[in-house]
Amino acid sequence: MSDELRISRNRSKNQALVTYVVLPFIFLTVALLGGLRVSSESHAFMFLPPSLITLVLAVLLVLLFVRGRLIEIRSLIAGENPPATNVAHIWILLTLFFASAQAFNSVLPEHGLLHWLFSFCFLWTLWNNQFSSFDARRLLRSLVVLFGTAFALKHLLLASLYSTDGTWLKRLSGAVVSSITLGALDSEQFAPATGYISFFTLGLYIVGLMLIGFSHQQISTNTDIALTSSRDS
Amino acid sequence: MLSSNDDTPMQQRWIQIIGLALSAVYAAAIVWLYATEPRSFKEVATGAQVAVGTYQVDQEKFNAALTLFRRDQFRAARDEWLRADAAQSDPRTQFYIAYSFYREGWGRIYYDQDLFKQGLEAVNRAIALSTTPLTVDDENLQMHTAAELKAELEQGTERSWGDANPLKVLRTRK
Repeated sequence: MSDELRISRNRSKNQALVTYVVLPFIFLTVALLGGLRVSSESHAFMFLPPSLITLVLAVLLVLLFVRGRLIEIRSLIAGENPPATNVAHIWILLTLFFASAQAFNSVLPEHGLLHWLFSFCFLWTLWNNQFSSFDARRLLRSLVVLFGTAFALKHLLLASLYSTDGTWLKRLSGAVVSSITLGALDSEQFAPATGYISFFTLGLYIVGLMLIGFSHQQISTNTDIALTSSRDS
Repeated sequence: MLSSNDDTPMQQRWIQIIGLALSAVYAAAIVWLYATEPRSFKEVATGAQVAVGTYQVDQEKFNAALTLFRRDQFRAARDEWLRADAAQSDPRTQFYIAYSFYREGWGRIYYDQDLFKQGLEAVNRAIALSTTPLTVDDENLQMHTAAELKAELEQGTERSWGDANPLKVLRTRK
C-alpha cells in the first residue's frame, strides 16, 4: 500500500518534471536550433527568425495537435486549475508553437521558388489533415514522415545537387537544373554542419512530441493508482 | 496527450514555478541570440560579457594600437583596436578608431570621403556608447571630445563653395 503510494508520488513528480521542465527546454532548444545555419564560406553562424509562412504552418500544426487529442486545451487551461498551472500550460503551448515554426524553418529552403513549393506542400498536407480523423499516435507517425521527407529533400537531395565541392556529375546536374529553370530552383549553400543541426533539431522536436504522449500515459497510470489506493483505504 | 493533472501537491507547484522561471531565462537568451546574431562562439561569449556588464577591452592590444597610431600607421592601429574591442562596445576605443579614420582621410587638397564616412560611423558609435559627453585626455591629440571630432568629420564630408578656396591648402591636421 505504502509502496504503491510512493510509486504514485514518484510518478507524479517525474511527470511534473517532464511537463514543466523538460518539455519547455526541448521545445525552446528546437526554437533556437531551427533557425541556425552555418555559412559554407566563413563557417559563421546565421540566425534566421521564423518567416510568416512558418508561423501559419505552426498554427495549423497546433490545431492538428488539438484535433488529434495530443493536446487537451480544455483541461490544460481551465477555470478550476490553479493560476500558476494555467500560466505554466500556456507557456508550454507557446514554446510548442515556436518550436513547430522553427521545425518548419529548419526544413524549408530559405528563398526562391523551392521555398514556396515546399511551403505549399506543407500547407496542402496540413490543411487536408484538418479534415481527416486522427489519433495522437497516427498524427505523430504522419509528422515523422512529413518532416523526414522534407529533411531528406532539402538537406540530402538539394544540398547534394547544388554542392560546389561534389563530383563533376553532381555539379553538372546542378548546373543543368539551374539553367533549365533559369535559376528559379537555386538553393542557398550552407556548411554540412547545417544538415546535422537540422537532423538533431527535428529529432528533438519529435522526442518532445512523444514525451507529450508519454506524459499522458503517466497521468492515466497515476489516476488509476490514486483511485485504487483511495478504494483500498 | 498533454492534459492537466488535478492533483497538484506543493512539490509539483514548485517544479512548475522553477521550470517556468528557468525556461523564461532560456527563452530570453534565445531572443537575445536572434537579436544580436553572433557569428561564432567567441562572439557569443563577448556578447554575453557585454550583456552582463563584465566586458573589458584587451588593454595590451589597445596599447599596441596606440603606439601604431602615434607612428601614423592608421590601418594597422585600427586592426589592433578592432581586436582589442571585438564587441565594439568601448567608447574610448571607438573614439580612437574614428580619429584614425580622420587622420588617414585628411589631405591638404581633399578629404577621403569613404574614410571620413567610416570615421563618422565610429564616432557616432562612441557617442552612443558613452553615457556622459565623451572626453579623451591624450596630449598627442588636438581634439579631445567626441563632439569636436564628429563636427570635423561632418565638415569633411560636406561640399561647399569654400572647398574651392586656394588658401585651404594652408590648413593643418588636428
